[in-house]
Amino acid sequence: MTIEFTLSNRQRDLQAGVRSLAQSIVRPQSLRWDREHAIDEDFLRNLARMATSMGHGGLGTSASLMRQEEEAPAAEKKPKSQNLTTVLASEEMAWGDAALLLCVPGPGLGGPPVRASGTPEQKKRFFGIFDDLTVLKWGAYALTEPTAGSDVAGIRTSCRKDGKNWVINGRKCFITNGARASWNVVFATVDPALGRAGHRAFVVEKGTPGFSVGRIEDKMGLRASETAELVFEDCRVPADNLLGGEEKYVTKEGFMTAMKTFDNTRPIVASMAIGIGRAAYEYARDFVKDHYVLSRPIPRYAAIAERLARVGRGLAAARMVTWRAAWLADEGIENAKEASMAKAMAGQAAIRACIDAIEICGAEGSIQTDHALLEKWFRDIKVYDIFEGTGQIQRIVISKRLISNLKSF
Amino acid sequence: MVAFRPSEDETMMRDEVVSFAKTLRTDARAFEKARAVSEETRRAAHGMGLGSLAIPAAAGGAGLGLVTQALVEEAIAYGDPAAAFGLAGGASFVRAVLELGSEEDAAKILSRYTAEDGFKRFGAVAWGERKPNPERAGFSTIATGGKITGQKSFVVNASRAETFVVFAQVDETQGWDGIAAFVVDADAPGVTVSPRAATLGLEIADVADVKFEDAPATKLGDGSAFTEKTIRFFAKTGLIMAARAVGLAQAAFDVTRDYCDGRKAFGKPIGHFQAVAFNLADRAMDVDAARSLVWRAAEAWDRGAPEKEALLYSAHAVSFALEAAMRCGDDAVQLHGGSGFMRDYPVEKFMRDAKQLQLCVMTAEQADQLAAAIEVGQPLSIGAILPTPETQTTLV
Ligand SMILES: Cc1cc2nc3c(=O)[nH]c(=O)nc-3n(C[C@H](O)[C@H](O)[C@H](O)COP(=O)(O)OP(=O)(O)OC[C@H]3O[C@@H](n4cnc5c(N)ncnc54)[C@H](O)[C@@H]3O)c2cc1C
Repeated sequence: MTIEFTLSNRQRDLQAGVRSLAQSIVRPQSLRWDREHAIDEDFLRNLARMATSMGHGGLGTSASLMRQEEEAPAAEKKPKSQNLTTVLASEEMAWGDAALLLCVPGPGLGGPPVRASGTPEQKKRFFGIFDDLTVLKWGAYALTEPTAGSDVAGIRTSCRKDGKNWVINGRKCFITNGARASWNVVFATVDPALGRAGHRAFVVEKGTPGFSVGRIEDKMGLRASETAELVFEDCRVPADNLLGGEEKYVTKEGFMTAMKTFDNTRPIVASMAIGIGRAAYEYARDFVKDHYVLSRPIPRYAAIAERLARVGRGLAAARMVTWRAAWLADEGIENAKEASMAKAMAGQAAIRACIDAIEICGAEGSIQTDHALLEKWFRDIKVYDIFEGTGQIQRIVISKRLISNLKSF
Repeated sequence: MVAFRPSEDETMMRDEVVSFAKTLRTDARAFEKARAVSEETRRAAHGMGLGSLAIPAAAGGAGLGLVTQALVEEAIAYGDPAAAFGLAGGASFVRAVLELGSEEDAAKILSRYTAEDGFKRFGAVAWGERKPNPERAGFSTIATGGKITGQKSFVVNASRAETFVVFAQVDETQGWDGIAAFVVDADAPGVTVSPRAATLGLEIADVADVKFEDAPATKLGDGSAFTEKTIRFFAKTGLIMAARAVGLAQAAFDVTRDYCDGRKAFGKPIGHFQAVAFNLADRAMDVDAARSLVWRAAEAWDRGAPEKEALLYSAHAVSFALEAAMRCGDDAVQLHGGSGFMRDYPVEKFMRDAKQLQLCVMTAEQADQLAAAIEVGQPLSIGAILPTPETQTTLV
């Protein structure tokens, strides 16, 4: 074993490729997407095609990636550095526009549970719809409810078996791509008293009777991304759509399906936050060069230099922790604690970066213009300390692994 | 004697504003969308004399001190931090006339704002510039022979102002000691206002650039003790912003405390988790400390304390309150979880408004510079302390 921080050639190429895409094509459109609350379909189609050609890791959870993994012979499965590569690419893309990453067509957050728990037929069925790249399709992941977010085990959406169907009743909220998705992975419970053992995961397809879309949220940031409420009223889902089949739920597996998703996605979400934070940091750095490096000494230079350096070091620290969490996953080493550390640190370092970058740039930093996106990044970043587990929840995950015999909070 | 209880009159005034401010909270999103406070609301505020508290009786105002103003400004901002920027008159404009002009200037210029139709009238201060002058210290906007030429940026109330107080260079060899203040009519020849900027928060504020091309200008005041007066103008207006920051912080805190009582996770109210409870406790300390610092500074000005004492207290109030408001806004969103990110809750707006407020008039960094300069006995110069393009620009 060695300690080294040099990216492989493949990773470097990918990083440079995504960076140049982000800079030349994504950035210039970012504010327009934010204002229009949508990203042009043509653009998404091209992106999906490009992601496929980039292959593994290009855009995290792209459909082709899922399928390649399923179909590849065991020996070829997963290049060893896939998590780290994804983390590198996500940082670059989020640097361009964070909402875009949430809009990329494909199974999205719904991919990991299907991959982890789905039967071979289910994988074929649900990933198969993404084969035709000319048609934009999404999958989504519906866990959160109006009364259960952090407290995942507390979901109340109910399910009961009725002949060959399951009947689902309840509401999900804040579901990314929930309205446009061809299918949602929906978590429900057979009996709330059973806690996690009562949970079941279903793939609910668009158009299923009894399933409808409620409100679309008006958000602080990430406004190009769709966040939807889903309503289930005696929604009848075929038994074939119970993820993994009945035998999967003899144990607590149902709930673990939900959680497994997070260990893999937290470092990715962390790297997105770092991408936004780095964007703000670089903007402030260039602003300082442009405004404050003059031939004569100016009073404020020391103060801004200190602030800038503090932001830079916070992001650097978060990035290292994030890389390590991803590397652990690549090595097949348990990483729940490190993944939560990455998410918690990155969220806060990046929020700090956005708050301070505006402070460094003064009034100009708070004004929305096409070439100055600090104002937008400030609106986008806050949610990175909230979704995929809030900062507080990450600290619970971490401290449970630090303190002996800690049962609950 | 030390006391922390407002007088009976002050309490009455505040209570009246508190009930008025409840309507501001209700209308905040509508105002945000309209990018303005409704005329009806401006009329009501004008009727209560909210815009003319500081204006001397000779100009038709109430001539009240900064303690009363701080109480009132906090109460308005508690309703909606942005609304305070949409009421008639304009805190910076009124203050600039009072601090830099003579009594006659004040009577002449400000009586229009206390008149019955004053709720329609706005004034603005054109202070900021986008970039430092590459050749020398000081503003690039120049005043000679009664005319001003140059481009001013980050001007609050720019597109609705009837009158501008414009700061410009009169002596290019004197750097930041070579500037003076002028009054320019908005409809004078050579005045052009650029389109309104979209800002992160406080959308109501009406921020834009104003260009002056040989615009006719009258000097404000006699120019004596200009630096002292200008610093006083910033310190007192900064203090008003600090009072608004306290209102914002308290509002964000109250909404969040209530939410933590009601919102349940893992079978209990989230406020029962220590991580949440301690966070609330920290923000409660922020609010109380900020308010006390604002009161201390306001009282020092009203009492006629030595200038340096009042400036130092103002500096403490400004930097502490602005940062406290930012922390309160940030944590308010955090403790609301996903709901905090949604615009049908008020907290995401509090967070954006808090960041915007941090860039109004004086920043925490500038206030710290002011405090440090006083403590270590450095001369108080505009270049080192105030928001110039060489330090950090603000919305004035
Ligand atoms: C833009 C956006 C997109 C989203 N996309 C999806 C999606 O695709 N699918 C999906 O299922 N969900 C999604 N979510 C929901 C998100 O995961 C939840 O909002 C998040 O998990 C927090 O849950 P909550 O909102 O219910 O907050 P709550 O759980 O109510 O938390 C409120 C506050 O209490 C704190 N808290 C709770 N419990 C504790 C404790 N034990 N100790 C200390 N503090 C505690 C939290 O940290 C938080 O600060 C999305 C949310 C947003 C904003």
